[in-house]
Amino acid sequence: MRPLLVLCLGNPDRGDDGFGPAVAEVLDGTLPPDVTLMARSGDMLTMLEDWAGFDALICVDAAGGGDRPGRIHRIDLAEEDLPRDMAFLSSHAFGLGEAIALARTLDLAPADIVVYAVEGQRFDGGSEMTPPVAAAIGPVAERITAEVARLQEAANHA
Amino acid sequence: MTTKTIKVDYLARVEGEGALDLHIEGGIVKTANLRIFEPPRFYEAFLQGRSHIELPDIVARICGICPVAYQMSSVQAVENAFGVKVEGQLRALRRLLYCGEWIESHALHVVMLHAPDFLGYPDAIRMAEKHGDVVRKGLALKKTGNAILRLLGGREIHPVNVRPGGFYKVPTRAELAPLAEELKQAFDLAVDLVRWVATFDFPDLERDYEFVAMRHPDEYAITEGRLVSNRDIDIDIADYETEFEERHVAHSTALHALVKRRGAYLVGPMARYALNYDRLPVSIRGLAKEAGLGPVCSNPFRSIVVRALETAYACEEALRLIADYEQPESAAVPLEPRAGTGFGCSEAPRGICWHRYDFEEDGTIRTARIVPPTSQNQPSIEEDLAAVAAPIASEPDDVIRHLCEQSIRNYDPCISCSAHFLKLSVHRA
Repeated sequence: MRPLLVLCLGNPDRGDDGFGPAVAEVLDGTLPPDVTLMARSGDMLTMLEDWAGFDALICVDAAGGGDRPGRIHRIDLAEEDLPRDMAFLSSHAFGLGEAIALARTLDLAPADIVVYAVEGQRFDGGSEMTPPVAAAIGPVAERITAEVARLQEAANHA
Repeated sequence: MTTKTIKVDYLARVEGEGALDLHIEGGIVKTANLRIFEPPRFYEAFLQGRSHIELPDIVARICGICPVAYQMSSVQAVENAFGVKVEGQLRALRRLLYCGEWIESHALHVVMLHAPDFLGYPDAIRMAEKHGDVVRKGLALKKTGNAILRLLGGREIHPVNVRPGGFYKVPTRAELAPLAEELKQAFDLAVDLVRWVATFDFPDLERDYEFVAMRHPDEYAITEGRLVSNRDIDIDIADYETEFEERHVAHSTALHALVKRRGAYLVGPMARYALNYDRLPVSIRGLAKEAGLGPVCSNPFRSIVVRALETAYACEEALRLIADYEQPESAAVPLEPRAGTGFGCSEAPRGICWHRYDFEEDGTIRTARIVPPTSQNQPSIEEDLAAVAAPIASEPDDVIRHLCEQSIRNYDPCISCSAHFLKLSVHRA
């Protein structure tokens, strides 16, 4: 089996930014035992340490800049770059986009990276998650379960 | 008369949300304002009524980069109020934890946020295309600092293992051993970093700062000492309010701190270095000399060299503390709450972090006052901006903007936590 990491990003105390951790809660205990699940908030540079040694990475994060809260985007970085108008939020100097760009420049990025981003609407400290974003938690968790199976299957046939 | 306003609406590569306004009239800089518009966070207000036990965990939330500074100053204030002194290996462990914070914070700033200024890159990602090795080394250093925070603090961001009187849990010697191995490599990386940043081209600027830092009889002060300056200040930390004051200014949600009798002062690596050069080990003083530093550095652009030097010092000091470590019998000394006032001060990566608390008889916080380093440096930053912009006031806006932004980043300002994009608007009369 290839080492596979599911990394759920966000701050549960910042409204829709809590999407990643909420997905991690649903996935906890449901993924195959050789898959690592992490929930992270804060400095995205530490992600470079988190994904060291993993061959494939699935990232879950909320993003600003869209016009349809709750819309789910699947971005396979083997096929396309992260959209420039999609703002992955971080309260620190480096967000997901920067961390991935830096890791790729330094050859520290996993071979496969798939990002699941949900468009968020409200990111204020202490606010609740908005209903359309909350409604996307279950569907994204299901899609990640399927994504994990696909990536493992691809590795078996490689 | 030509009037020119240079605005940087959102400062990049700093921790927090701030902006820059520069007004130039007839080639003369009239005002230079660092605008801090991040909303006030009211920590001092919502600490009222909370228990002293909760204090270090609440104030750790003030900053994700330097939470240890807030924890250390706050527990010191609790212990000061309750008449307890934490010494021996518990004190050494606190210093070790603090070294971890210096390493991770300094490495982040020197390599990822500040070095691109000197080499002409917009950010560390572009810089990594040409200087990948240095960026890898910077990340490895940061990782080592984080490893110390994780082991002693329970986690690297907002640690949870510090309590008034000591810690909740202390490590065994065996648990510290792998850290020592990592730190030996980190020290070599930090030495390389000092040598690398020393090769940068530094703008000529010598400033007549009043340096303010802590000073200790035996060590390069981090967790404890008197407050001293290169003018005539030499006071107990409890007397901070007799010498210093904070003022509201219209353009900033952060208070400006000043020496009452004189005005702006500077805290942070350059101040520590100038006031405690004789407390550095011979090895670090030798490295400083090799990097072109004398016992005092007054060029703010060279602060990057001092910061790298302190990173090397923190690695060496951490190794010394680990080598001398014996696991204490108890993770904390007992505390008996009592009514009173307590003071705490420690050297955050960016400078002194001063706290004062009044406690009820049961240890409930009655009032709190926290003076972070960046608010102390704001007047000094603005004086630097005026000094930097004056000789180049007739240059194109982007030249002025670049040097002014770089000047702000000389301070590693921790406005709090953010920084994403930058907009410049120029208004010409």
